[in-house]
Amino acid sequence: MFDKILIANRGEIAVRIIRTCKRLGIQTTAVYSDADSRSLHRQMADDAIYIGEASATASYLNEEKILSAALTSGCQAVHPGYGFLSENTRFAESARASGLVFIGPPSEAIALMGDKIASKELAEKAGVPVIPGHGQALKDVDEALAMARRIGYPMLLKPAAGGGGKGMRIVNNPDQMADALAASRQETRKAFGDSRIFMEKYIEQPRHVEIQVLADGFGNIVFLGERECSIQRRYQKIIEESPSPGVSPELRQRMGKSACDLARKAGYVNAGTVEFVMDPEGKFYFLEMNTRLQVEHPVTELVTGLDLVELQLRIAAGDHLPFDQAGVRFTGWAMEARICAEDPARGFTPATGMITRYAEPRGDAVRVDSGVDTGSKIGVHYDSMLAKVICHGKDREAARTGLIEALNGYHIEGVVTNIDFVNSVLCQPAFAAGDLDTGFIDRYFDGHLPLSPPDERHLKLSALAAALVYHVRTIVVRESVKTMVSRIGAGKSTAGVHHYVVRSKEDVYEIQLEKGPERSLWNIRVNQDQMVVESPDFEFYRRRLKLKIDGRYHRFRLRIERSFFWIAFCGLTRLFEVYRPGEWDLIPHMPTRVESPPSNELQCPMPGLVVDVSVKKGDRVIRGQNLVTLESMKMESGVASPVDGMIAEVLAAVGDAVEAGDVLVRFMKHETGSVNSEQ
Amino acid sequence: MEQYNRTIQTLERLRAESTAAGGPDKINRQHAQGKLTARERIHLLLDAGSFEEFDVLKTGRGSSLRDDRIYLGDGVITGHGNIDGREVFVFSQDFTVIGGSLGEAHSQKICKVMDMAVKVGAPIIGLNDSGGARIQEGVDALAAYGEIFHRNVRASGVVPQISCIMGPCAGGAVYSPSITDFVFMVQESSYMFVTGPNVVKTVTHQKITSEELGGAMIHAQKSGVAHFTAPNDILCLREIRRLISYLPSNNRQPPPILDLRDPADRIDPALDYLIPENPSQAYDMNVLIHSILDGAEFMEVHPDFARNIICGFGRMGGQTVGLVANQPAVLAGVLDTEASFKAGRFVRFCDAFNIPLIALVDVPGFMPGPDQEHGGIIRHGAKLLYAFTEATVPRISVIVRKAYGGAYLVMNSKHIHCDVNYAWPTAEIAVMGPKGAVEVIHRREIQTSPDPETLLNEKMEQYRHTFANPFLAAQRGYIDDVIFPRDTRHRLIRTLQVLEGKAAEGPDRKHGNIPL
Repeated sequence: MFDKILIANRGEIAVRIIRTCKRLGIQTTAVYSDADSRSLHRQMADDAIYIGEASATASYLNEEKILSAALTSGCQAVHPGYGFLSENTRFAESARASGLVFIGPPSEAIALMGDKIASKELAEKAGVPVIPGHGQALKDVDEALAMARRIGYPMLLKPAAGGGGKGMRIVNNPDQMADALAASRQETRKAFGDSRIFMEKYIEQPRHVEIQVLADGFGNIVFLGERECSIQRRYQKIIEESPSPGVSPELRQRMGKSACDLARKAGYVNAGTVEFVMDPEGKFYFLEMNTRLQVEHPVTELVTGLDLVELQLRIAAGDHLPFDQAGVRFTGWAMEARICAEDPARGFTPATGMITRYAEPRGDAVRVDSGVDTGSKIGVHYDSMLAKVICHGKDREAARTGLIEALNGYHIEGVVTNIDFVNSVLCQPAFAAGDLDTGFIDRYFDGHLPLSPPDERHLKLSALAAALVYHVRTIVVRESVKTMVSRIGAGKSTAGVHHYVVRSKEDVYEIQLEKGPERSLWNIRVNQDQMVVESPDFEFYRRRLKLKIDGRYHRFRLRIERSFFWIAFCGLTRLFEVYRPGEWDLIPHMPTRVESPPSNELQCPMPGLVVDVSVKKGDRVIRGQNLVTLESMKMESGVASPVDGMIAEVLAAVGDAVEAGDVLVRFMKHETGSVNSEQ
Repeated sequence: MEQYNRTIQTLERLRAESTAAGGPDKINRQHAQGKLTARERIHLLLDAGSFEEFDVLKTGRGSSLRDDRIYLGDGVITGHGNIDGREVFVFSQDFTVIGGSLGEAHSQKICKVMDMAVKVGAPIIGLNDSGGARIQEGVDALAAYGEIFHRNVRASGVVPQISCIMGPCAGGAVYSPSITDFVFMVQESSYMFVTGPNVVKTVTHQKITSEELGGAMIHAQKSGVAHFTAPNDILCLREIRRLISYLPSNNRQPPPILDLRDPADRIDPALDYLIPENPSQAYDMNVLIHSILDGAEFMEVHPDFARNIICGFGRMGGQTVGLVANQPAVLAGVLDTEASFKAGRFVRFCDAFNIPLIALVDVPGFMPGPDQEHGGIIRHGAKLLYAFTEATVPRISVIVRKAYGGAYLVMNSKHIHCDVNYAWPTAEIAVMGPKGAVEVIHRREIQTSPDPETLLNEKMEQYRHTFANPFLAAQRGYIDDVIFPRDTRHRLIRTLQVLEGKAAEGPDRKHGNIPL
């Protein structure tokens, strides 16, 4: 085994690899850029070496610097993690050439699997089913039409280069072919400098199912079950699980055998993943093979009880696989959610900032792989994924509800995340039913909002939490000011039952609170439902609350906003207004607020010098987005858009000296389109 | 027995008459405008069932012009009741009764509760919704206003005075709220001005609506007359209750201690990362404020006015504190005329009512430019300097980053005798920022250098190293300690504990002469 390895990565995966190394007594060297000088992976490693400026090309993609860091710090091997240099043939080769072990497959295998055509041909040779299609780049529209006639519609145009869905087009009939092909070529040329396009059968309602394989250098190959990764947004996986609700034991064996056959044919060594697309009848087709550790590998680890990083290290160090296929056992179900710094309400645009409060969910069945902590700064240079939350359960429902609870208790402030969006996906009835395919998000969501009405019970529990916190806080105030209150006539009758009305949007709940026989017990009625609630000593500063309601624990995140409560629970994020009955009776007299039309201009808030203009005419902008940067008082500060809208005119130019009140930008009038629907 | 029953019945009738206010039509009209009645407001403001009314039966003398109806209560409801169990005095003008206009009897009722509030040491809350002076009463109406002004001034600094504008408030009537400590306004249903749109039109030929001239948002953002705004009556009254929870009932009392169970020794590692590595980058001071206060609960005063300085109430270890903090995210946190006025008045309120002051300092200086100089930044800046210097309550400062020149001195520095002055390691205490300083000290050298840019940077680095840090000031003892940012809350609470027994007395004088 190695004494010391370098981890050529950052964030959660670097931290996760370091954890295993520490357990195995292997020393680690981390590399970091300017943006990560105070990051968690840097702090946790035994050594940390600076490799350049924030941009990935200058740092985490800088092969030379990373290899020289490995050599100078006395490492024997390099673990590439995922992304960055993990599937870079040249890097794997140069690492080996410098005398380092590359913890991954041989560079030939990387190269082979990185080539979509070659890998597909290999799969066919290995007897692995592939999607019917044309094995060569399309010459022109006529050829495309001829091929499509043979394969049958609908069919998919797929670029040779790149990934992430860029340049892909679905063609439903011959009339759409010419336009789709042209658009696909243009997009892929722009993105990757390569305009080769392939064609294949388009699978409707496909599931994305992948098989984890492990191969040692002695020809032993095993598969570790499948992972279902059908829940995707714009081709990015959000939720993964193992096993898949759509795979029977018999199918698992067939898929596993196919994956192993392919790996064997490719001369594959180390951990890899064979991705399949599966149609509703359970027919599966080879998609591609990922020659690295996958983001979602923990779900496999939780159901098999194995540590994939450890196995990667052992295989790279020349060990035999410590078990054969019969030795692979599966227990229960695991489900993972990816937590990203992105703002669902703003079209999932990357969010930045400093994490001002951070608390991870805990529990025996919960695992959090995170690369961040309190004080972490989230910038724009790297992938927006901050962490993964994985939950294990005896069956799928236990894993799902466990994950929902874990996300309810995952507390991140300072940076907007998709936690509540992911949670609302987990709470969809179709998800609970295991009815998954890659079109799930588009089918059940409009932007970030579910199309189905919110779960009535979740709303009721949130309303209950709001009323209870309001009530307890009121009592705390009363108790605290007791010394300032007249001592005369203290013996007042106090009503045993307290009434509140909680409103959230259109939903109204009547709440009756009654103190139970013990200090922490309450009998609470929400509309007609009677519940027994056990509450902790309220610690308002935590902004998290755990209540035992009718025998089950529920976690809420909540924030006091003036007189109201903002609550996040099971994917619902809403403001709950708690009223005393006297207030509620008068509510009908209160005006319904009409938002005054926003100003069509962005005025300069202070005198200064324009140092950057980040928008141009026709750009769609969102409220709060910085449009112009000013230097004033020797400080740079952004001037934010007051509205969601489209830019009609930019009046400020870099270098202009501007006065307070000068108009910097004008917006289009009567802009009603939502920026969230932007493609 | 019959006689006795009859008097009981009379009382019942009179009370019913009083409660009926201006009658169903006028009450409906009030509701249609999105406004509550005077009595409804009182019931929401006070704890349920705690209101005790005075002068239900008081009436005016009637008009000297024509034979007007006489109304029980004369257009204002007065009395006392509880907020979270604590006694407060209230008057609530009733727009449904003679337009809530202010006449002799109306004023006498208000004066009665004000006098009693001062006598027993309880806050006064005025809910204003009045058409103005009752013209029919002539000079008596003016005298009536004068009596209230006089009492406002006498009560100032003795008991907290809170005004809430929930309808019109025009002409001389505006001056009573403006003397009080805090003014709340309800958005879209209240306005305040000395002369209304009609007069403005006659005199200056400007067409302007009441909302544009003196609406809640105008006073909250532009004039600074309103300290707080709320979207409707119900929320406005709740905000008043919230404010009261921070305040003592009078100037002889300490503020209430409210235990939100936030540990005093809670550390916050995020603060170690708050200050950006690039000194010209802004950050949000609210992160620090929310971190150190109990439960991140902060009642910001003037949240929309002079946003380059943040003032407000919070609690630390349960103790109410008045927070004054520069906001680097707005105008780089510079001090200007409005910021100085805003913070100056806030500091004096805290000092009057025994509320310890905490300054969080990141100030690059005073705002330069003719607008500021001609607008009297010298005068206004002096207000804040005077207010901090004069204050005898516990005064603590934490220098977070920049503390340059005169602005450093003004922001509750050790030199104007704050009790304890801490600095973060990121503090830069100097006469001016590196660039400006170097350009002055090494002007000639830089001008004649073959490579002025490099030399400038070199000298700036040198300057930063020598001056722009907290260590020089710490050597002199001007800084009591350089603290770890993560420990700020704990250190501040320990300091509040030690200063709890602070006794300070000024020289014997009638009063100082603050540069108003």
